[in-house]
Amino acid sequence: MSGVTQNSEPSTGDLARIESYQHLYVVIEHEEGIPVPVSLEMLGEARRLMDNFNVKYSSNEKVVAVVLGDNVRHLCQELIRFGADVVVYADNHSLKHYTNLLYTKIICQIAEDKNVASSISPNRSENYKKPRYMFFSADNTGRHLSSTVLAQLESGLASDINKLVISDLEIRHEHKTKGQTVKFEKTLEMYRPDFSGFLWTTILCLDNRNPVTAREYHPQSCSIIPGVFEPITKEDQRTGTIIDFEPQISDEDLRIKVLSRNIIKSTIDFESCKIIVSYGRGIRDSPEDNFKLIEQFARALNAEIGISLPISKRPYQTKDQHLLSYMIPERVVGTSGRKVSPVVYIAIGISGAVQHLAGMKESGFVVVINPDSDAAFRDECDIFIKGRLEEVLPTLTEHIKKHMLMIEKRA
Amino acid sequence: MGRYDCMPVRPLNVGVIVKLEPDFSEGNVSYNPDGTLNRAETKNILGPHSAAATLAAFYCKVKYGAKVAIGTMGPPIANQALRQAQLISNADELYLYSDRIFAGADTLATAEVLRLGVSRMNNGLGADIVISGHRASDGETGQTGPQTAWKLGYPFIGNVIDFHIDQEGKSIYAKRFISLYGFYDVIEEIQAPLPVFISADPSYKPSFNTISERLSLARNLNEARNKADNFEKYLQVFNSEGLGADPRYVGLPGSPTIVYKVEKIPKAKAKRRVEFVDGNDTVKLDMVAKKLIQLMTEAPIK
Repeated sequence: MSGVTQNSEPSTGDLARIESYQHLYVVIEHEEGIPVPVSLEMLGEARRLMDNFNVKYSSNEKVVAVVLGDNVRHLCQELIRFGADVVVYADNHSLKHYTNLLYTKIICQIAEDKNVASSISPNRSENYKKPRYMFFSADNTGRHLSSTVLAQLESGLASDINKLVISDLEIRHEHKTKGQTVKFEKTLEMYRPDFSGFLWTTILCLDNRNPVTAREYHPQSCSIIPGVFEPITKEDQRTGTIIDFEPQISDEDLRIKVLSRNIIKSTIDFESCKIIVSYGRGIRDSPEDNFKLIEQFARALNAEIGISLPISKRPYQTKDQHLLSYMIPERVVGTSGRKVSPVVYIAIGISGAVQHLAGMKESGFVVVINPDSDAAFRDECDIFIKGRLEEVLPTLTEHIKKHMLMIEKRA
Repeated sequence: MGRYDCMPVRPLNVGVIVKLEPDFSEGNVSYNPDGTLNRAETKNILGPHSAAATLAAFYCKVKYGAKVAIGTMGPPIANQALRQAQLISNADELYLYSDRIFAGADTLATAEVLRLGVSRMNNGLGADIVISGHRASDGETGQTGPQTAWKLGYPFIGNVIDFHIDQEGKSIYAKRFISLYGFYDVIEEIQAPLPVFISADPSYKPSFNTISERLSLARNLNEARNKADNFEKYLQVFNSEGLGADPRYVGLPGSPTIVYKVEKIPKAKAKRRVEFVDGNDTVKLDMVAKKLIQLMTEAPIK
């Protein structure tokens, strides 16, 4: 056992746990060597959490960025500038493109590697088993990767998180503690907005302290919604440790082959249009007629049409193929769809669930049309038109057409 | 060895894992005054993503004459999801994995039950391809599929929008859709040997082009209706013991995570200064129209 002295001496049991599970590992995603935005956002939140953690617990645990790829060495310094203390990278030609099987294996190799742990904290790695915490991105890649990594590491995973707190919690739970009150230190509270967007569920990953089913569950892990956390300001002077990890790759691991990879431009162009008009469940009273009003309005403004998530689940019985083509997942604005930032965003009959707001809050000017002046959107818009779309849209569309005609005549 | 060798190619075994979920469609879904789901008043159905996975299995049935088995973990009423899935896919076998001790399971503990469940399919032969949906409409984690795959030791291919099987080469060729959020989208083509686990992208739609496929389609749809009318004949129910589950790895004891608390999301601090406009005030609406046109015409082209 090491002779580490701490300002506040933990009990022997705690010390063993501290040393078995250490640090916050952040799995970085990048495209051709450029970190995707959520990677830097995760590092920013990791930095803030671990700075507080180290002060609060008088410890020196690290933010460890993990990056896999082909020719990714140049990325490491950049990740340190954005908050990592340590970057562990695996550079190999077969890692050029993500495949779930190979990436899962190598991330688990890194997470459980004692040599890596001893490079990170030389005097405290003797009992190292696994990371204390682990972050992934909640996008198509990270969602699957986090699932398989945590299945391999046999621990808990919460998905789509938008708030994180580390605290000591007194827990009484039928199974986890056999009904006794037990203090769980350094517990990661993972806040997850539910599908309705109105409820926040806090998920914890806890060891079973019930003697009958005693089991340790680490790392405490989550996938993080892109676009919710701020990266730290890039600091060119930040220094850190870079570890070159030599992955173990067998022929079996290479049996999944990426034959081709094509970047596609979405058929729905939310990027180059100036105005996006989105609609939600507010069309319900007469979906087909109301959609016509929305379409006429959007056409007058030369706007692209977006939708809220519930609409993509096709909640209305309709045979109108044209309308159905405007109820597809590709049009969803929000965390389950696209993130947009047009000059003007107009939300019609959308209440403003947090998932939707996260997808449009960077827009320049926001107009909401909604009969419910208490809708959550009221705090995220510049103009709130209180009224039913059936009544507001025809008038508004007429006014717009009238002004546009005048502009054309002048020109 | 030629294509018409007298040794028949063993039929493809396809397994699907599905979930009974609240029906979010208008008229069926019911919300509480605070905007949350009213579970007591909302009907349950085969989830839409589960339906997409089931369609992918039906594609294998029509095109390759695959044997299809559908499995779900849930309470006894979850057999309704199996019946609906059989109607879609003309499934040969239905499996309900149901036990009180499974209740409260998180994704890892659910995946453990499904791993055991898949291995029971097809007289214990398991499946060459297992298909899941993208994610459930109520839980929305999207974790159960890939975790089941990992536990089965099957490589996982997510967000599949199209695929075909080379039965002789025993491989899958799959196209998958990757959205990187704030970055471009990618379509990737993957080749992998069987067995494999795929999740169907929400946009997955099978197409049947040749005449023989269309004949097979019509025959299978007809059979599916007859089978689903008597779906219980095809149903096998397994409890924890029947699956040979280790009680430490399923249900609450096998779940690393717990729900600690549920609260209403507090309203964010207003970042914009909102101006309220009465929707009946046509003069005000005219001002809004002018403002929109001004923004539209003045803003630089991105």
